[in-house]
Amino acid sequence: MFKAVFFKEWLKTRWCLSAAFVLCSGFSIYIASRVMKAIELQGAGHIWEVTVSRDALFAEPITFVPLLIGLALGLFQYFPEMQRKCFKLTLHLPYPALRMTLVMLLYGLLGLSLCFVASLILLWIPLAQVFPSELSSRIVLSSLPWFAAGYAAYLFSAWITLEPTWKRRVFNMIVAAFCLKIFFMAPAPEAYNAFLPWLSLCVIALISLVWLSVLRFKAGKQD
Amino acid sequence: MEAIIECRNLTHFYGKRLIYENLNFKVPEGRILGLLGKNGTGKTTTINILSGYLEPRKGECLIFGENIRSMNPATRARIGLLIEGHVQYQFMTIRQIERFYSAFYPQWRKDAYYELMAKLKVAPGQRIANMSCGQRSQVALGLILAQNPDLLVLDDFSLGLDPGYRRLFVEYLREYAKAEGKTVFLTSHIIQDMERLVDDCIIMDYGRILLQCPVAQILSNFRIYRCQTDEYRNGEALLQSLSQAGGGKLYHPSLIRQNLEFGSFLSDAEVGRILRQEQIGYSQLRSERVGLEDAFLSMTGKY
Repeated sequence: MFKAVFFKEWLKTRWCLSAAFVLCSGFSIYIASRVMKAIELQGAGHIWEVTVSRDALFAEPITFVPLLIGLALGLFQYFPEMQRKCFKLTLHLPYPALRMTLVMLLYGLLGLSLCFVASLILLWIPLAQVFPSELSSRIVLSSLPWFAAGYAAYLFSAWITLEPTWKRRVFNMIVAAFCLKIFFMAPAPEAYNAFLPWLSLCVIALISLVWLSVLRFKAGKQD
Repeated sequence: MEAIIECRNLTHFYGKRLIYENLNFKVPEGRILGLLGKNGTGKTTTINILSGYLEPRKGECLIFGENIRSMNPATRARIGLLIEGHVQYQFMTIRQIERFYSAFYPQWRKDAYYELMAKLKVAPGQRIANMSCGQRSQVALGLILAQNPDLLVLDDFSLGLDPGYRRLFVEYLREYAKAEGKTVFLTSHIIQDMERLVDDCIIMDYGRILLQCPVAQILSNFRIYRCQTDEYRNGEALLQSLSQAGGGKLYHPSLIRQNLEFGSFLSDAEVGRILRQEQIGYSQLRSERVGLEDAFLSMTGKY
């Protein structure tokens, strides 16, 4: 059954996930090649100095990419369920509703992880060749909140899309927009390091919001 | 006979609008029961409550003895659900949807599904989104046949179907349900289809059940009465007294000029006695048996 749910989710999201993978990897390759080119032109010493003294990260182009990918994946995965209330079919299957919801979310989170991990690896490996490990780790660590925002955006997107009423959906959108802002508040490198574990726990807690929408759907809430 | 569905004291409101109050009914095993009612009487509400997608304000609904709100997944596997408009996963193809559902049902009958699909002139790789409503209805029916449930809940199965597909659906479903002893609970706007398909019907009026009985009983006992009256100038009073006469057993009397018309399960003699009791001057009283649609309209009114 687990495999069947994954199969259904894959059918809905295969184009979106493939595009997300290409986009994430593409941005990482672009950032790495930009750094390489700068080193070639201005020398490694100068780039190291800029990184340390002026807090240059070089990874800024990818800032909002995970966020957009999270939002898009949520939409691609859950919008077809809400079309003509198809979600009723899913919840009618002989599989506990909570487990079904969690398996669907697990699929999305694993899909995102695949894209994000590929992106981080593609970013970290070339940087590790030219920077000392402290600097390359700094760049990767500084970009982690953006990837966390991608997971949060996915869960918010699921929460909003599965919500059965428009009034509450608009309210959810506003709440989501404010919450997502938290991930982009401190532009300084590694500003989120201490806060990151707590932020990750908050992201995990968002799963309960998705379940709330499912419960409201099951209760037949209407505008 | 064991009741497969049992609804007790169902009460539901949309906002402050009462849909119905203390609705009670049972569906016995092996019967095909149709829920008939005009728009807004709560048919879809009842189906939604039955399928567990609407929490009633009050009351409970038991299927196979279990409350639908807390039903065991194994029990849910015994219920086949058809959503209004034959909704299925639009992004899947005929083959993919069969593969998906088969994982959830151990008794899955792949052959029954592909037997029906062979009659459709579509490629196995065609997406459901690109099919006509009639073709989609056959896919939905095929999936239900393959699932082989003990109870089928079908919401407005005739919606969007042309007469050919409607007839095909009705014939296939009736043959299947009767041959395999399935219980079916359904709604439809096309009452001629119901007449061909259902054993029993529940006729709903605003806020209540008007009648629950076998269709055969309606077809053999219900009559439309027509007569001439010379009291047509005082029409409103006449209709009101007729509506209340005989304990409400004369349904929706209407008067057009001198022609009085109403429906009833009573015999000619009983109707004549009521008219005389109410001191209504009438002549040429005649009655005729009618089909389910006319009986339904007579019981619920045209407006």
